Amino acid sequence: MNGQAWMLLLEGAWTTVWISGIAIALGVVIGLVIAMVRMARIPFIDQILVLYVSLARATPLVTLSLFLFLATPTFGIAMDRNTAAILALTLNTAAFNAEVWRSAFLSFSREQKEAAMACGMTNGTFFRRIMLPQMFTSSLPGLVNEMSFLIKSSPAIAVIGVVELTRVTNRITAVTYEPLPPILAAAVLYMLIIGALLKLQAIAEKKANRLAM
Amino acid sequence: MSDAPAVQIHRLSKSFGGIEVLRDVDLTVYKGEVVSVLGSSGSGKSTMLRCINWLEEPDRGTIRIAGTRIGVDDKGRKMNNRELAAIRARTGMVFQSFNLWPHLTVLQNVMESPIQVKGMHKDEAHAVASALLEKVGMAEKADAYPFTLSGGQKQRVAIARALAMSPEVILFDEPTSALDPERVGEVLQVMKNLSAEGYTMIVVTHEMEFARAVSDQVVFLEKGLIIEKAAPEKFFTRPETERVRRFLELSA
Repeated sequence: MNGQAWMLLLEGAWTTVWISGIAIALGVVIGLVIAMVRMARIPFIDQILVLYVSLARATPLVTLSLFLFLATPTFGIAMDRNTAAILALTLNTAAFNAEVWRSAFLSFSREQKEAAMACGMTNGTFFRRIMLPQMFTSSLPGLVNEMSFLIKSSPAIAVIGVVELTRVTNRITAVTYEPLPPILAAAVLYMLIIGALLKLQAIAEKKANRLAM
Repeated sequence: MSDAPAVQIHRLSKSFGGIEVLRDVDLTVYKGEVVSVLGSSGSGKSTMLRCINWLEEPDRGTIRIAGTRIGVDDKGRKMNNRELAAIRARTGMVFQSFNLWPHLTVLQNVMESPIQVKGMHKDEAHAVASALLEKVGMAEKADAYPFTLSGGQKQRVAIARALAMSPEVILFDEPTSALDPERVGEVLQVMKNLSAEGYTMIVVTHEMEFARAVSDQVVFLEKGLIIEKAAPEKFFTRPETERVRRFLELSA
């Protein structure tokens, strides 16, 4: 592989990182919102969210990406490849994150809430100051797990023409007729990306306050 | 309303699933008083305490904290979350299972409510919390996390946390029941000190000696009814009902 091939690979890696990064950031927040709304058990809305979570978890990313890219124009929504890719990844990861957050909600101790109420905290203050910091710490492993799954399944967006890290290897092979070197190089880059993610998790866990069990 | 009683309970009733846990309970607690609430398990003691700060919503009756009605406003409208929080801030509660916030240090546990609820400046809250931890003998553990503490230490921190809001009354819900026997004394000692300092306290307890030594009033609950209410000397030496006589014999 020559220098130009490496440049192409790095560009592909960057595409994987920024598209996944946006989907991860959106997915973590949207997942939290879905979990919060589901905890409120609002009739009808709750059923819709259950349906969404089930569908999104059951749909392969390739199918979802194709559907969004091909079907949305018929509804009059013009979406470029990158937007469709981000939307597909976000819809997918938000559903999984919603379940991670929801289990954190369900396992949160009622006693801590009573202590906060007894001190005069409003529900909002309790959630922001007492519940969310602990939910974040306890959910972090599950969330990071889902983030690494998302990055590793992101080659699915190649199907709608996004030139990300896996797709770019095909392009290099088309010139060099040697498929193995770019694929191995891409594998190393994936490992570096996931490794950086895990490093961030370790730092976050160190900074996050400890939890007593 | 500065001369209103700290807590006024009038005809408080509460049922759980068709079972009446409290029936027309009346109780007035004046400023500086310590009231011990005795009774066997399931008599409604804890439920009564939890109704005072509306952790349980009563079915009937009124409760006033320093003259202000909790739960329902003067027009009979149910209080919203914010209004409830504002009046709960004037009470403190100490739980059987401590209920400290595990992600905060001892000092932060005590500082949190004054800062978040009262809007106290951080430096002032730090000074207040440090003084309270000194009072309960936990100053040297200020930076420790709750999981490193013994039960008695946790409970003393929980008491400091309740005091930090300068409450009109502190509600103790079996504060020593979850403790190792050798840790009970240190918590009771702190509570004795508080009563000597003039804090208003309602204490649900099984500690007879404490109730006798510290209380101004002893209340005995049986199946949701207050069947005896007396000064401790009278309650422990000349109880009026057969039920209390038997209870005292069994607890002796």
